[in-house]
Amino acid sequence: MRRLLFLSSFLLLIFFLFIWWVDFRQPAPVALIPSLSGEVEYCLTCHADLPEISASHPVQIFGCVSCHGGERLALNADLAHSSMRGGSNPSDLSVVAESCGGGNCHSGSEADDRHHIQRVTSSIQSTYAGAIANIRFTFGAQVDLTPVFGMTSISDNETKTGIKSLAAFHPADEENPFIQKFGAECLTCHVNAAPREGEAYARQTGCAACHSVGEHQMTTAIPYTQCNACHNRGNYDLRSMTFVERTDRPTSRLADYYQPIAQFTRCEYTLDCVDCHTRDEVMGDGDIHANQKSIQYVQCKTCHGTLDELPRTKTLTDPNDIVFRMSFLNPVMDLKLGDTVIVTEQGEPLWNTRQLPDGTFEMVGKATKQYFTFKPVMGTACEQKPDEQESRYCHECHAVEK
Amino acid sequence: MRPSFFHHLHPPTIPAAQARWRHTLGAGGTAVFLMLILGVTGILEMFYYLPNPEDAALSVQRITYHVPFGWLIRNLHYWSAQMLILVSALHLLRVIFTAAYTSPRRFNYLLGMGLFLLAILLDFTGYILRWDKSICYPLLTGTNLLKTIPLIGDALFVIATGGGEVCSNALIRFYTWHIFGLTIVAVILMAWHAFRVRRDGGIAVPPPDSRADTARISRNELVRREALAMLIVSIFLILLSIFFPAPIAPAMSASANASVTESAYARAPWFFLWIQQMLKWGDPFTFGILIPLAAFVFVALIPYLFPHIQKNEIGAWFPKSNRMAQIAIIICLACVLVLTFINR
Repeated sequence: MRRLLFLSSFLLLIFFLFIWWVDFRQPAPVALIPSLSGEVEYCLTCHADLPEISASHPVQIFGCVSCHGGERLALNADLAHSSMRGGSNPSDLSVVAESCGGGNCHSGSEADDRHHIQRVTSSIQSTYAGAIANIRFTFGAQVDLTPVFGMTSISDNETKTGIKSLAAFHPADEENPFIQKFGAECLTCHVNAAPREGEAYARQTGCAACHSVGEHQMTTAIPYTQCNACHNRGNYDLRSMTFVERTDRPTSRLADYYQPIAQFTRCEYTLDCVDCHTRDEVMGDGDIHANQKSIQYVQCKTCHGTLDELPRTKTLTDPNDIVFRMSFLNPVMDLKLGDTVIVTEQGEPLWNTRQLPDGTFEMVGKATKQYFTFKPVMGTACEQKPDEQESRYCHECHAVEK
Repeated sequence: MRPSFFHHLHPPTIPAAQARWRHTLGAGGTAVFLMLILGVTGILEMFYYLPNPEDAALSVQRITYHVPFGWLIRNLHYWSAQMLILVSALHLLRVIFTAAYTSPRRFNYLLGMGLFLLAILLDFTGYILRWDKSICYPLLTGTNLLKTIPLIGDALFVIATGGGEVCSNALIRFYTWHIFGLTIVAVILMAWHAFRVRRDGGIAVPPPDSRADTARISRNELVRREALAMLIVSIFLILLSIFFPAPIAPAMSASANASVTESAYARAPWFFLWIQQMLKWGDPFTFGILIPLAAFVFVALIPYLFPHIQKNEIGAWFPKSNRMAQIAIIICLACVLVLTFINR
């Protein structure tokens, strides 16, 4: 008995040493107290090698938890990640309001032009309202093209388009097999849907679909490759309700940008999509729109004018002008008070442009940082009729293969 | 030589046959040891635990991840508590299977049932103190079950939870019950139960003239065996604590769209799974209160329902003269186990 006691005590002592060793092996916790919340977080214990996500969201100010959620004190991966919003993407539209929202963040007032979350969730890219309405009308499920369904249900009480709400689209509830197939095969793009299989389509959802260019990186200098995760990937065959992928293997920007059947001018592939297409066009203007045509409005004449009109401009006199805020996020051009920038027909400023003293314009590519100068159409040998301003008319002379 | 305090708690000698491991399984003594560990680890946790709804779950995370060896203390506390239920059940089974509950030990048996009930309530209240997502369902279910009791249900609910919104007021109540209200009663009953064991003549044995083996062991030898048992239980608890961490879930969500009882966590604690299974069958009062209470009362009344035992079979395992009691408890145990395991 005494021997048994001695052995057991010795075994217990061994286990105490084992306990000490187990404790010794735990990683040393790395604390971070972000100035925005004042609450300590320990995410950096394991994730210290992640790059800063952007200059506008430094980790010392924001921390990790304010955007991602998660258990800030936990040092065990399963517990720490269990209450994260949206998995590794807190900008997924199902959780974006909690992650990116807030009056001082991205769901502020419309007057300050800070209502990004409301704009994006009601935008045509998010709702797919036009595509769904068109297919349902074509196959007899609705009597006209007024949109009824969207990718998720959304409502807008202050609508200027007359569309107050959309219900969530459930293809399984549709009777027509073509509409069901459309729902299964054709709604895998843009910000509200998970992408198709394949490297060419790889992207995130939500805000990150456009703004996230690499692992844990956000930017406003969005290159065309982001847009091409959905755009220019091929064509839909409505008879079989399938997507026919483009088969070329492009090796240059020219060949990569648009798929082989497209027509485009030089600036349409030298610039990035964001150099022409404005925030309202891509992110929405806050209202529910029936289709793409009602929100997309930028044309060649927006920058170049017509034979009769110069492009619209605005001289910057207010230091609080939104142009300075937008330029600050991606300062490709050093705008100052007194500079004149091009504005679109809807009043959106093109903050990467500036009028030069001789009346021509300079521009810097938002993603490429390339410098361009261009002149307005007025006074040139352009043969375009004033009432034929769609891009296909410009392409008649200026398309690349011509 | 005059015995030390600890030695003097034991009788000078006890019959050798009843002092063997395989006779008593050491279950009662192990239960006392586990209560001791629970007390010490519990007090250590009190230095860091914050009993208010905003901080409780985070303080548990702090203990687990940031207090030196906090993980060990918490895991020891958790595993001692679960082992206590199992060991107490084992002790109950042993007492019935050896007919050790017969007169004059019938009152001590009732004290033991009281302790068993207290152990379960302490386990439940301790579990609630985590105040994370996994406790909301059991908390709401358990406290709402109280309300189903006719006449006294609402009063019982207020006594247990403090009334009002359960998920905000109940914490301080459960904390007080856990560290003080139930514990004081448990300590008193433990002392009384141990006193009665000695006063009733120690481990149940046949009368001297019916004993086959008259050998005895000294109190020193008994204490040595108890020390060995404590060492082995400690090693076992440490192994459990190192390799099987106590469950922990994210703190209760403050966001408006989080449902209070998230379906992933809609599961009773393991010792109430049998009741949760019955609740799926119908009326909460009948299946959640009445039947479990009836089962408990039945087991508590076994000494009065099946009091007969032949003198020379007292303390022997599975005595023939007490077969009905053994069958009764096996049926109860089988029911509880089946209900527990079919609960998905």
